[in-house]
Amino acid sequence: MPASAPPPHPNPPAVGLAPPPGLRQLFVGMLQVALSSFGGGLSAWSQRIVVEQCRWMSDQDFLTGLTVARLFPGPNQINMAVYIGASFHGLVGALVALAGMLVMPFTLLMLLGLVYFQVHEIPAVDRVLAGVVAAAAGMALSMGFKILHTYWRDRVALLLAALTFVAMAVFHVRLIPMVLVAGPLAMIWYWPRSSPQEPS
Amino acid sequence: MSSLLVLLACTPPPTTQLGDFLQLIWTFLSLSLFSLGGGNTLLAEYHHISVEQFCWLTDSQFSDIYALAEAAPGPSSMIVGLLGMGAAWKEGPWAALVSAYAAELAILIPSTLLMVVACLSWKRLEHSPWRVAFERGLGPITLGILFVVGIKILNTANHGVPGYLVSIVVCLLMLRTRLSPLWFMGVAGLLGGLGIINR
Repeated sequence: MPASAPPPHPNPPAVGLAPPPGLRQLFVGMLQVALSSFGGGLSAWSQRIVVEQCRWMSDQDFLTGLTVARLFPGPNQINMAVYIGASFHGLVGALVALAGMLVMPFTLLMLLGLVYFQVHEIPAVDRVLAGVVAAAAGMALSMGFKILHTYWRDRVALLLAALTFVAMAVFHVRLIPMVLVAGPLAMIWYWPRSSPQEPS
Repeated sequence: MSSLLVLLACTPPPTTQLGDFLQLIWTFLSLSLFSLGGGNTLLAEYHHISVEQFCWLTDSQFSDIYALAEAAPGPSSMIVGLLGMGAAWKEGPWAALVSAYAAELAILIPSTLLMVVACLSWKRLEHSPWRVAFERGLGPITLGILFVVGIKILNTANHGVPGYLVSIVVCLLMLRTRLSPLWFMGVAGLLGGLGIINR
């Protein structure tokens, strides 16, 4: 497979890795990840296929990818696919990896969406949906609780979270102004000190 | 009937079909870089935009779409495609599909471009104080936003005690067990079908 312009690689390839994938292999690999994770567990399948099966990158590189994916805006799973693709073929690789990951699930969801919009007003359907959304709302509610423990001991963090909550839920501050104001303030507080002691 | 009443209650400024389409694309383009901590932090904003600001969907439809995007395989950020579909549904299914794909591309492209830049320059960024401050600072904000989202969806989806109870139970089960959410949705759907949960 002809290589494109020298792909920037985060680390020099470790011993035992397969040769870097071409675009088509990248697409097929991500497609495989998407298909395998139809029952769930996208991150696990991603790791299993990219690191263990195809051996395109090491575990360490993969973990770096997770770190970068979580840090930057965008859905984590999407960002992970972008990282994997960009590692080998820059922007084009990222787009190819994304396409591989999304083409089937998105097509399926769009079909489901078309069906939904067509049938959702049927009373029986609406009744069932009334129940389903109650469960979905429970899932949404659990999201905050899931990460609460990370900040439980950091009083400033809890204060920041509480202020954010009150501003948005009570005073209806919109997301973008909230982030633009609170973000820099939080960053100033958490700016790393040069001393060895770190704020908790 | 109830959807007619909702339409009367929510009247967006009149624009052309092309204007609507461009507005849709711009809306999601501008939100893309603000999906911090994963795509879920944008959900409250999506609700405001689709139900209150542009009147693309009713409260019920928004909840339904959220559930659909969560239940379906793949990243739940594909909800934006469904929002785009809802926005243009009145123009017919083909327009709705175009709108869906356009919306999804709009929400993905800016953050993807930024991510590519990040990947290629990670060596420089990794130990920068900006990165540390950003990572530590945005965490608590994300926490606050996720609770806002949780409460918002809770109130959007439920209109009676049984619904709220089911939501709370599911929330606890999500935190304490590793059962797939699809089970919960299935059982809850059954309860809904039996008329125990209403809206």
